[in-house]
Amino acid sequence: MIRILTLSLLLCPLAALAQAPVIEISGANFRPLPIAVPLPQALNDGARTVSPEFDDAFFFDCSAAGIFQVLDRKSYLADAREGFTASTITFSRWADVGAEALVKVQLSVDGRELRGEMRLFTVSSGKEELRLVHVVPLDQPRKLAHFFADALYKQFTREPGPFQSHLAFVRRAGKGKDVYLGDWDGKRAAPVAQGSINLLPVVGPQGDSVAFTSYRSGKPALYLQKAGGAATPLVTNGAMVTGASFSPDGRRIAYSMAQGEGAQLFVADAGGGNPQPLTDTPYFINSSPTWSPDGRRIAFVSNRAGTPQIYVLTVANPKDVRRLTFQGNYNQTPDWSPRGDLIAFTARDERNAFDLFTVNVESGKVTRLTQDQGNNQEPSFSPNGRLIVFNSNRTGASMLWVMTAEGQNQKMLPLEKGDYSTPDWGP
Amino acid sequence: MTSVASVAPVSLLVRRSEATLFKFLFWSAVVHAALVSLAIAYAKLHEEPSIDLDQKPIKATLVRQGTPRDEKLLPRIEQAPPPPMEQKAPEPAPTPAPPKTVAPAPVAAPAPPKTKQAGEKKADTRQQLFGAFDKMSKSKPDTTGAADGDPNGDSAVAEGEAYYARLRSQITRFYDVSDTIPDSERIRLTAQVAVVISAAGQLERARLAKSSGNDLFDSAVMTAVKRAAPFAPPPTHLRDALSKYGVVLQFRP
Repeated sequence: MIRILTLSLLLCPLAALAQAPVIEISGANFRPLPIAVPLPQALNDGARTVSPEFDDAFFFDCSAAGIFQVLDRKSYLADAREGFTASTITFSRWADVGAEALVKVQLSVDGRELRGEMRLFTVSSGKEELRLVHVVPLDQPRKLAHFFADALYKQFTREPGPFQSHLAFVRRAGKGKDVYLGDWDGKRAAPVAQGSINLLPVVGPQGDSVAFTSYRSGKPALYLQKAGGAATPLVTNGAMVTGASFSPDGRRIAYSMAQGEGAQLFVADAGGGNPQPLTDTPYFINSSPTWSPDGRRIAFVSNRAGTPQIYVLTVANPKDVRRLTFQGNYNQTPDWSPRGDLIAFTARDERNAFDLFTVNVESGKVTRLTQDQGNNQEPSFSPNGRLIVFNSNRTGASMLWVMTAEGQNQKMLPLEKGDYSTPDWGP
Repeated sequence: MTSVASVAPVSLLVRRSEATLFKFLFWSAVVHAALVSLAIAYAKLHEEPSIDLDQKPIKATLVRQGTPRDEKLLPRIEQAPPPPMEQKAPEPAPTPAPPKTVAPAPVAAPAPPKTKQAGEKKADTRQQLFGAFDKMSKSKPDTTGAADGDPNGDSAVAEGEAYYARLRSQITRFYDVSDTIPDSERIRLTAQVAVVISAAGQLERARLAKSSGNDLFDSAVMTAVKRAAPFAPPPTHLRDALSKYGVVLQFRP
C-alpha cells in the first residue's frame, strides 16, 4: 500500500516536469504571397469591350506590387466559368496551383458607367476577405483597376497602395525633350510640355501639375504647369535652375541655381517667391535637393569634397551639413523615401556601370539594388515608399522600370518604345 | 463478515487516540513533503540540458575566406537570390552510410561521390533518413558568416543542443512567410507548433499549439515544419523525449 502511495507520489511531479523543450525559430524568409488573378468576368457586351484594358492595368499592378507572386494564368485549373461567391468556387483547384489568395473581379457596363466588383478569398479557408464595388466613367477602366489594386494592397499591408498616384517623366522627341504626366505606370500619359528641351520633371503636391526646367525661353528656367494648362514661371532669373523639389507639405520648393563656377541650393515658397540660399560654397556644385518626409532636412549632391557625394542639411539651420555617402566616387540623383529611413541614389561603380543604391540616413549603410543589368539611374520612390521607379537601358533603349525598395521584382513599365528618362513618382 | 470488518484498515485510525492521530498526520505530511522534494530533486538532476532561449544554443556559421572588399568601393551583391521555390522530394543519399548511432555528419560536410551499390533499393527508408540532413548540405552555404565564427562552420557545443540547432536550421530553410504581413504586425507575431519526432526522425505529429492570430503566418509555420520533415534521427539520449513529449517550436518572423 505504502509502496503504491510512494510510487504515485513520485510519479506525479515527474509527469508535471516532463515538459517539451521550446526551440525558438526566427529569421523567416519573407516572400511574396502566391495569388491567383483570373481574368475578370464580363457580365455584358459593354463590359467585354473594356475588360482587356482593365485587366492589363490590374494584372500589372498586382505583379509590380512586390508583395504578391501573381501565378501564371496558364497554370490555372479552375473552370473559367466558375462562380463568383465562396460557395461556388472550388478552392481545392486554386490550392493545387499553389495559390494562397484568390481575387476575382466582375465587370458590367450600365449606360456610361463601368461597374466593377472585386472579391478576395483566402484559398486555404475559402473565406471571403474583401468585397468591394466601385463605379467609374466607362472610358476609365484603368482608374477602376488602380482603385481595386490599391484596395487589395491596403487589405494585406494596412498601408495605402501606390497605384492611384502619378508619374512624370521625360521622353525624347527628335531633338527636343517632352515632359509627360500620367498614371503611376506611365499609361494615360499626357504631354505637359512639348517642343524645346524640358528636363527634370517633378510631380506637384496635388498630383495634377508638374514643375520642370525648360529652355523654352532660350535660357533654362523653372516652370510649373498642369496637363493641358499654361506654364507658370517659378524661377526665371536667367541662371540655370534645376532639380526642383516640393516640400512634403507642398508649401515650399527647393532647387539648385548656377552661380559663377558653382551652383547653390535655394528654398522658396511654392510659387517661387522669397528665395533663401541654403548652401554657400562658391566654387562647388550643390544640386538635386530632395526633402525628408518631415520637411526638416534636405539631401543633395555636392562635389565639395572632390567627388559628387550625398549630403544632408537641416533646412532651419543650413550650416548643419553632414556627408552621408563615403563609398564610391560618383553618387548622384538622391531621392528621399517617404518612409524616411532610406535615400535612393545613382552611383557609378568601379566597373563604370551606373547602378542604384540606397543609403540608410541614420546608419549610413549602403545597399545595392541593381547590378550587372546595363545602366540604371534616377530612382524615385512611390508615395508609400515601397517601390522605386527608375530608368534602365538593360534592354537597349532607355526605358522606365519599377522594383521594390529592396531591389526585388524588377519590371519594365508597359510603355511604347522610346527614350525615357528622369521619372518622378508623385502623389 | 465480522472478521473482515475487524481486520479492515479503518480500525487502525479508530484505535488511536487523537494525539496519535495528529502525530500520524504530521509525520505523514513530513514524509509526503520529503518524497515530493526528493522527486523534484531527482527530476532536476536527471533533466535534459535546458534550453536558454535568450542564448543561441549553437553557433554554426561559415566564414567566407579571402580578402574583404575595399571599404571605399560600393557594395556588390555577392549572391544570386535564393533558388526558386520548388517542392523537393527528399533526395536519397548517394551512398548508404553505415548506421551511426551518435554524431550525425557535420552540417557542411561535402556529399560523398555517387557510387552504385547493390542493395541500394532496400536501403530506401534509411537513405531517406540520412538524406534529411543531406538536403541541408546541398543547399548553398551562407557565405556571409559572422567574422568571429569558426572557420569550419561548426562549433557544436553539445550533442543535444546541436540536434536542436540543426532542427532549427532545417526548418528555417522552409520558413517562408508572406511579404504582405505589415511591419507593425510582424513585431508581435508568435506561433507555437508542438511536434513529435520518431526515433527515425520522421515527423509523427505537428499541432499548432498557440496561434499567432494571423492565418497567413500560422499556415506558413505549419507548412515550414511539414516541408522540412523528415529530420535526421535524434541522438540516443533525446529519442525518448522527442517521441514521447516532442518539442515545441516557437516561431517569430
